[in-house]
Amino acid sequence: MHTDKLALSATGLVKRFGDRRVVDGIDLTVPTGAVYGVLGPNGAGKTTTLRMLLGIIEPDEGTRTLLGESSPREASDRVGYLPEERGLYPGMKAREAIAFMGALRGLDWSVGRKRAATMLEEAGLGHAVDQKIRKLSKGMAQFVQLLGSVVHRPDFLVLDEPFSGLDPVNQERLEALIRAERDRGATILFSTHVMAHAERLCDRLAIIAGGKRRFEGTVDDARGMLPMKAHYVPHHPAPGIAALLPVDAEQDDGTRGGGWRFTLPPEGIEGILVKLIDAGYGISGLSIERPGLHDAFVRIVGEQALEQAA
Amino acid sequence: MSSPRKLVRQTLTIARRDFVATVMTPMFLLFLLAPLLFASFGAVGGIGAATVGRSTEDKERIYAIAAPADAARLMAADRMIRPAVKRDDGFPPLATVAPTGDPAAQARKLLSDPDTDVPAVLYGPLDKPQLIHANPTSTTASYMAALAEQAVRDQRAGLTGPLSTPTFTRVERSTTSLGGKSAAGFFAVVTLFIVTLMLAGQAVGTMAEERSNKVIEVLAAAVPLESVFLGKLVGMFGVAVLFLAFWATIGANIGTLLPPELAAGLGRISPAVGFPTFVALYVAYFTMAYMLLGSVFLTIGAQATTPREIQMLTLPITIFQMAMFGFALAAVSKPGSWIATAAELFPFSSPFAMVARAATGAELWPHLAAIAWQLLWVSVTIALGARLFRRGVLQSAGPKFRWKRLLGR
Repeated sequence: MHTDKLALSATGLVKRFGDRRVVDGIDLTVPTGAVYGVLGPNGAGKTTTLRMLLGIIEPDEGTRTLLGESSPREASDRVGYLPEERGLYPGMKAREAIAFMGALRGLDWSVGRKRAATMLEEAGLGHAVDQKIRKLSKGMAQFVQLLGSVVHRPDFLVLDEPFSGLDPVNQERLEALIRAERDRGATILFSTHVMAHAERLCDRLAIIAGGKRRFEGTVDDARGMLPMKAHYVPHHPAPGIAALLPVDAEQDDGTRGGGWRFTLPPEGIEGILVKLIDAGYGISGLSIERPGLHDAFVRIVGEQALEQAA
Repeated sequence: MSSPRKLVRQTLTIARRDFVATVMTPMFLLFLLAPLLFASFGAVGGIGAATVGRSTEDKERIYAIAAPADAARLMAADRMIRPAVKRDDGFPPLATVAPTGDPAAQARKLLSDPDTDVPAVLYGPLDKPQLIHANPTSTTASYMAALAEQAVRDQRAGLTGPLSTPTFTRVERSTTSLGGKSAAGFFAVVTLFIVTLMLAGQAVGTMAEERSNKVIEVLAAAVPLESVFLGKLVGMFGVAVLFLAFWATIGANIGTLLPPELAAGLGRISPAVGFPTFVALYVAYFTMAYMLLGSVFLTIGAQATTPREIQMLTLPITIFQMAMFGFALAAVSKPGSWIATAAELFPFSSPFAMVARAATGAELWPHLAAIAWQLLWVSVTIALGARLFRRGVLQSAGPKFRWKRLLGR
């Protein structure tokens, strides 16, 4: 990957809090224009990593380049950030809050106010333009903050757990906003532990656990780490059927027709099917299931947990 | 945008937010009028105290137990000497009583009169007067001794009235009196201390807002924390300037509303460097004192996570500041002394001591040197404060505090 096409690259990032290595040698490369997900369980080091990438805190070891700047601070006017812990001044009006966040990033106040009004209208929050933040619902306030993080039209947008605390309608709005920002040309990096959003939005992703990067690649790459599963429903169920199936085969609880689920063998399923037909069990149903990101995540994080336990 | 320009822009953005958020609230009006409330409470207290004072004043007497002829001489001496004593420091009215039986016992009885306050009683022959008094530090008994001395002198010289006829003519001084300079110095130190403490103290709680709203993460991501620190300092300084400008405008016009005697009295309070220079120096020293104290308060506020912690951390600083105030007042009372020089040199008392010097000394070069010296310390305090501030506001996810780390970065 050419570094001139990278919006962000980080190598060997380490952060210690006391004697604990909260982030332990993480490498990240985010291509320009990509939607990049950082996935990980609670306490994995996602937020600390994002804070280091943005220059809020300095890494103890490692280097990072953001939008071509070796010091992320130098690029701060071209970056938007929604922190995990949302925060707005409750006495500010929604329009002012958005304009203020733009002004922090170098956007003229008057331009910020105009854009804020337009963005709020477009997001269906036109009625909240001149309302104080303390009068807004939590979800609305969160959306105002999100608009504040993009009002200056950043080249790089960092969202830390952006979906947390939003109802399904606002989650849809947020997904639409992320897509719109990507279409505008922005690079987006967001952290989450909700796999569905990552699956729908991410071009690439990294899975972090225990302060280390456990995976980096596309959603398909992550899914590809796990073998595909087969779901087989016999035409004539009988007790001896398990002997003809792979050892990891598990019988359904009956909700899906009393079938069996097993890992697809590398040599294919044909041999197993022939044996089942010859034995007279027949085939009432057969489907090949691709593992989801959720499965990949659980396996990767589970491996890390086993590693830690060992 | 170049880094210094960017830093200034970011600082002013924070300052603007803080200034507007402070000024555009009903609470600010209360804050602005706080001195009026303070003065009103003071006036009410003063009126009450004066009323109490007058009520006891009417029941105060000094007694002389003397035969009628001696009593008349004492009264004549009292009429002559009493006008020379200021009313505030004056003595109670003199009453004479004819001796009956044992004058010593009679005097003790008068001194212990439950219905009247009697600070001293004179009895016995005027050339060997006996004086009894209750308060060991009171000069009332000495005043009565002086009356007896004058009465004896009048008697021996055969005098029955004054020998001279004085003519009093009031002439304005062409130069400032030492008393006027000293009063100006005292006034300057006290007002500078009060406004600095009151206004710089506002800075201590400003970080609490960002902490409780969790806005600090947004700020820290967008701008360097040094800009947040400076912005808050500048924003609150703007509030302080507005406050001072408001009261300076009122102060400048209040002279026309004062009684002529009081206005004339205030007119005698005159700084040695002249009023325009003094005002300029006062503003400069206020700026220095505010920046020094404000940065300390802001740094402290950033270390605290709860209002209780803020209070606990503020107290030692306030005590320290009170010590600086006392230091500067000592400098006013002894200009040119070693204590005055020490107060002028020590960074945290320097603005107060130097504003006093502007009132008592006409030289200007020490002020230029002092402002340069204080600017150096303002820079040091702000730089150190900003580092501690960074550590304080990010402590929720930062490493443990280490002096080596703080000073090494």
